[in-house]
Amino acid sequence: MYEFEHIAAALYLAAGAGAILGLVLPAPRMLIGARIGLVVGALVQAVAFATLHRLDPPPALTDLGVAIAVMAWLAVVFGLILSTRIRLPGFLPALAFAAFLAAFGATLSGSGGDAATEASGSIPHAHVLLSSAGLAALGLAGLAGLFFLLEHRSLKRRRKLARRLPLPSLEALDRVNRVALALGFPLLTFGVVTGVLWNEARSGRVLGGGLHETWTVVAWLIYLGLVALRFVGHQGARQAAASALAGFAFLVFAVVGVGLVS
Amino acid sequence: MKVVVFGMNHRSAPVEIRERFAVADVGPALRKLVDRPEIGEAVLLSTCNRVELVATTPNPDAAQHVLLDFFARELAGGDLPSKSSLRDMTYLRVGREAVEHVFRVASAVDSMVVGEPQILGQVKDAYRAAAEAGTCGAVLSRLFQRAFATAKRVKNETGIAERPVSVARVAVLLAKQIFETLEDKRALLIGAGDMIEAALIALHDHGLGSRRVVNRTRAHAEALARRFDGTAHGLDELDALLPECDVVLACVGGTGPILTRERIEASLRRRHDRPLFLIDIGVPRNIDPAVHEIDSAYLYDLDDLQEVADSNEEERRREVARAEHIIVEEREHFEGWLVALQAVPTIRDLTRRAESIRKGEVERFAGRLGLDEPRRELLEQLTRAIVAKLLHAPVSRLRDETDREAGLIRLEEARVLFALDEPAGSGGRGDSDEPEPNP
Repeated sequence: MYEFEHIAAALYLAAGAGAILGLVLPAPRMLIGARIGLVVGALVQAVAFATLHRLDPPPALTDLGVAIAVMAWLAVVFGLILSTRIRLPGFLPALAFAAFLAAFGATLSGSGGDAATEASGSIPHAHVLLSSAGLAALGLAGLAGLFFLLEHRSLKRRRKLARRLPLPSLEALDRVNRVALALGFPLLTFGVVTGVLWNEARSGRVLGGGLHETWTVVAWLIYLGLVALRFVGHQGARQAAASALAGFAFLVFAVVGVGLVS
Repeated sequence: MKVVVFGMNHRSAPVEIRERFAVADVGPALRKLVDRPEIGEAVLLSTCNRVELVATTPNPDAAQHVLLDFFARELAGGDLPSKSSLRDMTYLRVGREAVEHVFRVASAVDSMVVGEPQILGQVKDAYRAAAEAGTCGAVLSRLFQRAFATAKRVKNETGIAERPVSVARVAVLLAKQIFETLEDKRALLIGAGDMIEAALIALHDHGLGSRRVVNRTRAHAEALARRFDGTAHGLDELDALLPECDVVLACVGGTGPILTRERIEASLRRRHDRPLFLIDIGVPRNIDPAVHEIDSAYLYDLDDLQEVADSNEEERRREVARAEHIIVEEREHFEGWLVALQAVPTIRDLTRRAESIRKGEVERFAGRLGLDEPRRELLEQLTRAIVAKLLHAPVSRLRDETDREAGLIRLEEARVLFALDEPAGSGGRGDSDEPEPNP
């Protein structure tokens, strides 16, 4: 598994570097090559996941490295799909570098069986997969938000307008933000629901009262507010971008950071 | 045969002189030119920034007089400057300089606005016109094909044409940083002057969806709207039109801003804060600068756009050095081809001369020795093989050297060594004094 994960990480890194060079030179063929690299990297990473069970011992469902790798893989897949509909120069390199870090990081983190997480049935698997998919989509929304804020700042400051790298337009970034939020929030919701069911099956209680559960529910409530503002309250694009970025930062803290802090 | 370029451009002559040499139908003039013995082939490039004749000639000095005379007699319309002042306003490039000049022109390196896209089309038109007139032969055809390839390389391998350098194109560039596409966007044009029209043309070229023209004088608005398939409105309709437009271009006379912050804020509320791109090219400004402080409003004035345009132009000039490398490379390739072309007659003369000597000697000796047909055939084969082997090395060397500068010198040496420019029979006749072969 780790061999494939290494190859995927290398492909993501090469795709990111190629895309940056393609934008700077500029060299359209390099950009096409980078996109192909990203696609091949995603395929190789899929093979890596398919061979997870061959590890001895196989990684636990809650293994952080694998979860991050799955999230990055899904983010790459979502990003590639979105880029077929929306012009996103400069966005894919950032995605490729993020995917490289996640894929490479997954190979560094240790893994092993964990009796507490070796639950039977499909609910734990559904929880991990749906939560990872939700995080991936909301991560994309956050990345688009970050790009939007940078682009907005540059346009507002009217400085170095001539020397900027070609980045996606504000409108394209706002679309990515909207689509990713629309996709990510239901996935996160299903992730939370399956998490609750898993908790109930394990401990007999709906909410365990643990830090992870509490903070995740708070994060979900925050996203509920963001979705309402975005789709009902007609929130402005800049505020939506800032919200997506802040929301994702909070979500990462709720899912990963809380465990590390405690 | 050398390539020469004779003409004038925006640096050597003012527009009031250049415009007198503009030619609509170049065919008859070119045919007249190539009828002169000093000129082999000719192409005439006539644009608003240059009038140039690209020609081939065996004698560049003589060609200069012919081309100057051609400029004065055939191309000039109206009052002419004196021939001496015309000479001062024109230039002659010969050989490698001429080839590089043609490549520079086609690649827009020599243009007034470096990297401008129109010149390549104009060069192609000039080449096509000369080809149709029958004044463009093998050398100039090859030269122009290489020029088109050079222009393509320069465009693809350098950033010379990357960044827009006109205010109108910069406005489009900025619009594209805000909007994903312009096709579904609506523009509101406040004013109907030249600046608005230039910006509108640039936006129109990039597929801007629809346009509404607002002007104090409704007739002017209608005239512009008609030309660009838009609708005309009066200034009193501004508040109703603003919320439905994504791009606003303003350039109208007046003392104070027409679009205030409050007005824009009100229209943004009605369009749910969708981004609004505003270009103020009016002097004094037509849009309150405070509009730029609103989150969803992106306002740029003439100075902002000009600053980007100047910076881009500077960037393009920096790319010229990279373009020059490509031009030199391509010129070397073309020169290689030209030398190879010139090697063909030398090689042909050399083989003919050798064959003529061989045949003469075979004839002579076959008669003296009284050879029958089979033996004569053997002698033919023997001498043919000897000649072929003897010529193989010099012919190969002449061909192989053609991609080097030394190739031309070697060709000249070959012609002297083998007496190729002397009449047949005047050289290499010492063979009659050779001892007779033993029977």
